[in-house]
Amino acid sequence: MPHRRTIAVAWILLLGVVGFCVANPSAAAAGPTLVIVSPEEGAVVGNGTPAIVDFVLSNFALVQPGRVGQVGSPTEGHVDVYVDGGYAWMATQVEPIVLPLASGPHTIRLRLVMDNGTALTPDVNTSVRVVATHGPAAGIPTIAIISPVPSQLTGHDVYVSVEVSNFTFVDAHGQPNAPNEGHFELFLAGVLRQDLSRYDTGFLVDLPDGNNTITARLVNNDHTPLSPDVSASVTITVKGATVSVLSETMSGSITLLLAAILMVLIVRRRKALARITKERSQKP
Amino acid sequence: MNARTLAFVCATMGLILISGSAASNARAASPPTLSFVSPANNAVIGNGSPVAVVFVVANFNLTAPGTGPSSPNAGQVEVSVDGAVTSHVSVNAFRLSLASGPHTILLRLVMDNGTGLTPDVAQFVSVTVTRGPAAGSPGLSIAFPQEGAILGTDLYVSYRVTNFVLVPPGGLAVLREGHIHVLVDGAFYQDLADYQPVHLGLPDGPHNVTLQLVDSLHRPLSPDVSASAHFTVRALVGRVSPLDFTPYFALANMGLAFAIVALMYRKLEA
Repeated sequence: MPHRRTIAVAWILLLGVVGFCVANPSAAAAGPTLVIVSPEEGAVVGNGTPAIVDFVLSNFALVQPGRVGQVGSPTEGHVDVYVDGGYAWMATQVEPIVLPLASGPHTIRLRLVMDNGTALTPDVNTSVRVVATHGPAAGIPTIAIISPVPSQLTGHDVYVSVEVSNFTFVDAHGQPNAPNEGHFELFLAGVLRQDLSRYDTGFLVDLPDGNNTITARLVNNDHTPLSPDVSASVTITVKGATVSVLSETMSGSITLLLAAILMVLIVRRRKALARITKERSQKP
Repeated sequence: MNARTLAFVCATMGLILISGSAASNARAASPPTLSFVSPANNAVIGNGSPVAVVFVVANFNLTAPGTGPSSPNAGQVEVSVDGAVTSHVSVNAFRLSLASGPHTILLRLVMDNGTGLTPDVAQFVSVTVTRGPAAGSPGLSIAFPQEGAILGTDLYVSYRVTNFVLVPPGGLAVLREGHIHVLVDGAFYQDLADYQPVHLGLPDGPHNVTLQLVDSLHRPLSPDVSASAHFTVRALVGRVSPLDFTPYFALANMGLAFAIVALMYRKLEA
């Protein structure tokens, strides 16, 4: 009899559990979840700072993998972090993940894995795309030529000073393009003269005489213009010092000398004529 | 429940308990292990970034230093770079800031008192850190002057570099970093270690400037990466010449000379 009573109690408990699960399907089916709180999709991470990834998870416990006596479970493990498909980090605690990123677009993916590194079934992962830049995260770049000023009369060599806002100069060594970072180029009459990546004055030499148009343009790391184009132009007048030619100088000097000789001769001749005329008039 | 059933249940429970105990003992007896997850051996870490080191252990509890008794199944990971101990960590991921060049990162399990396990449990990876990009073929081109250009005596050469970072010479030879050798008419002119245009002052005539990427030991890359431009220097090119009075002076000189001679001749007659 006690045996039958035990079986009856077991059946009642089993039916109770089944009934609870039917009544609350979400409770029965709730699996681990993982959500990236920040950064937002498409966010720009500015000023060369690392991306800080905040995430939350539920129904999953983060633990150190490989503990003594640890038994694999689909409800505990760690977070594998991938950047652009490459393994980048392992999170064993729910705390912000700091990821230094090179300039350019990146995809950050977080994935829950069990203690032995295998993915959950079904896979639980989430990703976010960000763009890293050494420039400011927001703002419209501008450039202006401070010197020379329009219509300035200059010599053949000219320093060009620019003023830039919302844009950071970086050395262009083939890295991907990123918002608000790059360098600037100086053009003379539409022909590229210099690539410059320092906040420094450009120096254009041997400019031809006459009117010259200098253009300064902000460009991406791959030397393509920004979109929309950001550039400034100034037209100056170049007029160098007059250059005298040696032959011209010598010829001119000889002319002066000959003219002087001629003048002396003329003066002396006139004096001689006057003297002769006087002598002739005094003779009877 | 009859006696036979009771005996069967007891036997089953006994077997389960024994097998569980045996399994637990087997786990406890497994020695700790350590393995790298990242970086891969011989990985190239680009852009001078710190190296993210991720590892996993087995049968070993990572504990903060000084938080428990020394045990061969608990402790920290001792981190050594190029043979020198740099830190002890108790988390599975950390970063190392390393100078450009090849490095060896060694991880070793140690007990809380800092002594190694017996037998020693350690793993190492070799990595190369470069201030250049981690991948890509270096490239170099001359933006100015253009091939065949006619220029004045003073000129600046502007150039573009890809997948290569310019650094001052003298350090270790590292992938995708180095400087530029400037050759003018085949002769060495100067080293370039920044991205600023290079100034040349050349005499009239045809010239050739060659830029060549080299490593920090001044050795050309393999394969060679260089760019050349041929141009002609012509002094005062582009400058408006003032009116040259030389021929007019010459005519005047002739007239004056004639006048002087004529005057002297007439003076003699007089």
